[in-house]
Amino acid sequence: MSGLYGTLSIALSSLSVSQEEMETTSNNVANANTPGYSREVPDVTTGDPVEIGSLSVGTGVVLQKIESLRDPMLLIQINQATQQNSSLNSALTQLQQIQTQFASDSSGIGADISNFFNSLQQLSSDPSDPTLRQGVLTAADTLATDFNTTAQNLKTQSGNIDQNVVQSVAQVNSLTSQIASVDEQISNLQSVNKDPGSLVDQQNNLIQQLSGLIDVQVIPSGQGITLATSNGTTLVSGSQSYALTTAASGGVQHIFSGSQDITGSLTGGSLAGLIQVRDQEIPSISSSLDQLAAGLATSVNAANNEGYNLYGTKPAGNLFVPPPANGVGAAATLTVATTDPSVISASSDGTTGSNGNLANLLAVATTALANGQTPIDSYSTLVGEVGSATSNTSADADSSGLILQQLQDQNGSVSGVSLNEEASNLIEYQNAYQAAAHVVSTINLLLLDAVNLGLDAAEE
Amino acid sequence: MRVNPDPMPDLLAALSQTELEEQQAELQISTGKSVNVPSDNPTAAALLVENNDQATFTSGYLQSISSVQGQLSTASSTLSSVSSALQQALSLGVEAANDTVNASDQAAIVVQLQAIQSQLVSLANTTYEGNYIFAGTATNTAPYVVNPNDPSGSGVTYNGNTDVNQVAIGNGYNLTVNVPGSQLFSANGNSVFLAINNLIQAVQNNSGIGTAVNAVSAASSYLSAQTVFYGNATDQTQSETTYLNAAQLQISQQQNTLGGVDMAAAATNLSQAQTDSQAALAAIGKLSQDSLFNFLT
Repeated sequence: MSGLYGTLSIALSSLSVSQEEMETTSNNVANANTPGYSREVPDVTTGDPVEIGSLSVGTGVVLQKIESLRDPMLLIQINQATQQNSSLNSALTQLQQIQTQFASDSSGIGADISNFFNSLQQLSSDPSDPTLRQGVLTAADTLATDFNTTAQNLKTQSGNIDQNVVQSVAQVNSLTSQIASVDEQISNLQSVNKDPGSLVDQQNNLIQQLSGLIDVQVIPSGQGITLATSNGTTLVSGSQSYALTTAASGGVQHIFSGSQDITGSLTGGSLAGLIQVRDQEIPSISSSLDQLAAGLATSVNAANNEGYNLYGTKPAGNLFVPPPANGVGAAATLTVATTDPSVISASSDGTTGSNGNLANLLAVATTALANGQTPIDSYSTLVGEVGSATSNTSADADSSGLILQQLQDQNGSVSGVSLNEEASNLIEYQNAYQAAAHVVSTINLLLLDAVNLGLDAAEE
Repeated sequence: MRVNPDPMPDLLAALSQTELEEQQAELQISTGKSVNVPSDNPTAAALLVENNDQATFTSGYLQSISSVQGQLSTASSTLSSVSSALQQALSLGVEAANDTVNASDQAAIVVQLQAIQSQLVSLANTTYEGNYIFAGTATNTAPYVVNPNDPSGSGVTYNGNTDVNQVAIGNGYNLTVNVPGSQLFSANGNSVFLAINNLIQAVQNNSGIGTAVNAVSAASSYLSAQTVFYGNATDQTQSETTYLNAAQLQISQQQNTLGGVDMAAAATNLSQAQTDSQAALAAIGKLSQDSLFNFLT
């Protein structure tokens, strides 16, 4: 409509658009610290012009939509980086705990092995001395106890990881169910062509939290969102979420989707890191310890039985309780077989003064066990392996953390709220509002004049 | 180009890093070690296990040597006494062979010789820390008992054996630590006890004293030759001790190289880390709390 009323309606459109722009700014400011929030930008265009004769007259300003600024590609990269980083960090925490078992070179299993053989060495200069003999049994007992303790601690840690796994799966289920319900809300809005706006932010934030726990990919589909692990297990499909369950299998907690065991196929998130340590690192270390304990016990017993004990009997007897045949669990159960120091076989000729068999016992220290290494070399190799695994994981975690940080910085530069920007926008919107209000009041006066045009003439 | 409006996460990450470095430097200074957990230096951690093993064995060998030296020195001084006793027997024998000596003098000489014989048995039964050192490996029984009816005619029976013990005094270095009494005192053809017993009988019978004296002399020379073993063994322990002491020093230096901390460098690191930490904190503190909103009227 042209004329004064046309001008008025243009001014009114400016007022309402400025108001909505200020609302957007206010929303951004309120959500400046909301995690996952993408700043909103009003998309304003000029109204379609109207042709009046040869003139093209504008019709004011139109707010098309309020757009959330986000970069979907970045968000995907952030999720992947989060999965990688969480996996490494959760593995690192566990490995750091494990390596404290192997931290000292002057105490612990390695030192115990050295001390045990040294006690035999000392016995060789006075083989019937009861104090020196007792020293050998004491050293053997210390060694066995440290094996037991280390094995037990690894087992306890494995149990703690189990609890962690169960809790994490519960969290995964809670998140997937939230994602599904937000997805329902989003779909409802989209089906009536409304912009779901910050609901999408909410969903993205939930997906990022989920990435901290488990490897998850967003698979584009026509109806709502589909989330699946990298091996194809569906977690969310539209507004439907599929819970994971945990159950004991082979002594540890496994993760199931329905009846399918997905424990070994997880590749990211803290669950992957936990499971890797529990199902690969810990069993590998336990196995090395078992082989060492079993090999030592068996070789020492064999050497002891090659000679005479102090009673003049040959074979002299076992010093360690024979370990299980395949070595499994040997470290946890290693025990000294006797409290009688006379069982130690120093003698090679049946006399109490002979030390000839101690050479056989001492030879165990320098003879390769079944694993191809001497006892002390086996242990030092294990220490090196544990240290390497931990330091490599630590370096990887550091660099993945940096990558994640950089991606989040980039995301912040796209979607983060800048209070300075919002303040300056507010000034602009405020000025526009004031100007438009001024136009309205001017038109109001003009309308009054127009209405009173005839009146003034009539009064004359 | 728009930058991330929120610098806080980056700053906090940097601060966390400097705090970690501070803690690490403090730990190294307080423990004096650069390898406190295997991941600090996995290769060094493994080598430190081996190093500790070598240190244990080296000090173990030194301890064994000390014990062995005690045995060897006791044996050595006992054999010295045996040698003196034999010299005394020789003089008595020579005296008895002299034409100027009469029957009662000879009887007196016999008594003295018998005393020496008894002393020899007692010396041959010397113990060291409860073990008979000349019994071979049968160290819990006295090797020699007086037995006038012993078929050898030596007047004693040997109840020990002929086995010897070896003690490792270095890696793969085994030292024999004893000589059986049978080899020292009652060897075939060179028996000290036989010679003494025969001398006593010769003087008692006043016949063949000269031959008997020569036999004692020969046995004494033989014994002296045997005692060289103890001197050699002691020498070996002494030179091995020197070697082991040097090895101990090397092992200790290596331990320091592998896992020790250069205190001066560590103190510098700590000071640097503390400075970095302070700087990061100050930077965060100075972060402007203002935004444009504060300046709008």
